[in-house]
Amino acid sequence: MQTSLPSPPPSNLDSLPKQHCGHQSNCLKMIQLLVDGEATEEQLEKLRHNMEVCRPCIEMYHLEKEVKALLQERMEKKCCPDKLIATIKERIFTFS
Amino acid sequence: MPELMSDTPTRGYSEEQKYSIFNKEFMPHIDSMYNFAFRLTMDEDDANDLVQDTYLKAFRFISSFEQGTNAKAWLFRILKNSFINDYRKKSKEPAKVDYQDVETTYNSEEAEAEHTVDLRAESVSDLIGDEVATALNSLPVDFRTVIILCDIEGFTYEEMAKILDIPIGTVRSRLHRARNLLKEKLRDYAATMGYKEENEE
Repeated sequence: MQTSLPSPPPSNLDSLPKQHCGHQSNCLKMIQLLVDGEATEEQLEKLRHNMEVCRPCIEMYHLEKEVKALLQERMEKKCCPDKLIATIKERIFTFS
Repeated sequence: MPELMSDTPTRGYSEEQKYSIFNKEFMPHIDSMYNFAFRLTMDEDDANDLVQDTYLKAFRFISSFEQGTNAKAWLFRILKNSFINDYRKKSKEPAKVDYQDVETTYNSEEAEAEHTVDLRAESVSDLIGDEVATALNSLPVDFRTVIILCDIEGFTYEEMAKILDIPIGTVRSRLHRARNLLKEKLRDYAATMGYKEENEE
């Protein structure tokens, strides 16, 4: 399950052959599949190629990775209060 | 809640086995379940009620759980159903946006036209957790749900399809739309904070 691909550093973006893209929306869908580990081998192959030439693809890829990372790493993970765990266990044991 | 496990045959577990499954397979997911409940309801008391209801239901219907299978997805599905069937009806805060409306809007032709959000990774990289949470919370609940399941809980599309009772294609498109909405919210945040396009070289 692949979720990332090599891509050139942002400083080299101006020299890429493809600065604009006519089917960004479709590429974005594929990029999201990649980031979620759901892309097929064929889609990965296409994206690998795009990462070498297409500026919009590279930028969208970095944004999707960044947003996913924000959600995974920055948001507080709420833990279940001990009191609730105790209540649930108590209720279960008086079940039968 | 018969719809929940209609596709699985029931199993005759002994009392001892039931407690063992409950403790070893269900309880380890309680923090994730609580976090999910909190992100759905945005309220600690409601999250408490929802998690408690879910675990009691899970125990009551334990014979339709196959030991050793994906307990986390099974529990999340019960929680999601409880949320829709029980919680949303008696919600203190009625849903501001009707999901059907949103989905219809987003299914319309304008939405199907090339839609990407003009935003750069560097623009959002300084946002803090609370800002991300506020942006996420502002999404309609069904969009919020797919993002939580995928990006926070790490479920696969197939698992999400089972939890939400929708086809995988719908998981994919709903996630795509949810992320576009989220990026719009994040862009607004980033803009008010001054991390705008001027920062480019």
